[in-house]
Amino acid sequence: MKNLSRTTGFFLIAFTTVFALLSPFSQSSAAPVLTIDSDKQFDFAKRCFSSEEYFRAIDEYKRFIYFFPEDKRVGNAMYEIGMSYFKAGHFKNAINSFEAIIDKYEDTDLSIKAYFMISKCHIHLNESGPAVICLNNLITITKDIDVKDEAYYEIGWIYLEKALWEKARINFAKISTQNKNKYQLKRLSKELDRTKLIDRKNPKIAGLLSIMPGAGFLYCERYRDALIAFLLNAGLMYAAYESFDDDNYALGGVITLVEVGFYAGNFYGAITSAHKYNRSKTDQFIDKLKQNTRINLTGSNNQKSIILSFQYSF
Amino acid sequence: MTKPSYRTKIIFFLLLFAYCCSACAHENRLIMEDSSVSKSKADMANPFVYPVEFYRKYISTVAGNRCQMYPSCSQYCINAFKKHGSVMGYIMSCDRLLRCGRDEVRLSPPVWINGKRRCYDPVSNNDFWWE
Repeated sequence: MKNLSRTTGFFLIAFTTVFALLSPFSQSSAAPVLTIDSDKQFDFAKRCFSSEEYFRAIDEYKRFIYFFPEDKRVGNAMYEIGMSYFKAGHFKNAINSFEAIIDKYEDTDLSIKAYFMISKCHIHLNESGPAVICLNNLITITKDIDVKDEAYYEIGWIYLEKALWEKARINFAKISTQNKNKYQLKRLSKELDRTKLIDRKNPKIAGLLSIMPGAGFLYCERYRDALIAFLLNAGLMYAAYESFDDDNYALGGVITLVEVGFYAGNFYGAITSAHKYNRSKTDQFIDKLKQNTRINLTGSNNQKSIILSFQYSF
Repeated sequence: MTKPSYRTKIIFFLLLFAYCCSACAHENRLIMEDSSVSKSKADMANPFVYPVEFYRKYISTVAGNRCQMYPSCSQYCINAFKKHGSVMGYIMSCDRLLRCGRDEVRLSPPVWINGKRRCYDPVSNNDFWWE
């Protein structure tokens, strides 16, 4: 019995000694444990976004959603994924991301912002029809007058950019009285009245004048084109006449074939020039209108307030 | 009816020869690039494209690209024929030749191609009003 307790005592001392000796080594050899909490992960994703590393930001936001699915910022992370795709110019992926938000967070501020962003994506894809449809859907489902007014304002601008003045006017008129001042509608309406004063060239007149080669170009203020069209057509007509007069029918035929192309090209060019002139003047008018009266409404992520910026160039 | 003169015959045969050469050259090239570019039957059947291809392959490569526009007039011509067929393609090509390097340079937006300033005037810039 005495031997047994002695043996037990020996093993106890030996075990304690070995444990005491090895424990510092075991501590030093183990790698330090790095714990990333939801705040760190979200901040890192945010940093990637602000440093314009959009695809990295997408990965980090996805990691955040995967590891912290119960976090209250999951919706914001989904929105930021959409924004990252938008900033990277991947508008179709951005639309898919924003649609996922609408499905998951129905009737929330986040879904409202997603509707506006989907509309913007469609505009970037040069799909004004779906952009308007998206905003009209928002108008139908929302009860918030401010949101409705913003949607009407955006639709109005989509039509303005397409030079559809009347449709734009109709949508601006739908904005409620309480927000008319906010959107500077008086000034906008005044500017829109000036659409009739936009300098225009009539394509029909340009085409009609082109009977005399170069006159159509002259009407569209393309003086060098006009001179070349006149000289080239006159020269080819004279060459064809001389060829036929000298009984050179083959040469005359070839020259006539070429001349027919240049004469028709003279008509086509004059009509196109008139359309280009009108397009250019309309674009200039819209750009000026944008500078003078466009209000940018930008929703922030965490706050319900909106940032309002207004610019007027003299 | 008078007989065609010796000079007229020579011009006619020269034109015929140039046309045949361009057609043959195009055929050879098509065999080489059959897997990379699949051209539609309508494109290949367009007879106006062959002389332009001939010009691009044998004349422009030697004379150099001097066109101030982008795409160049010959490329624009091919694009116009492919997009709108023979009649409208021919008219649009002639229109482009009339405008090349003149007022369009002042009015259309510039682009930089291989460090050189060019005037951007694609087919879509000239058919937007009727297409």
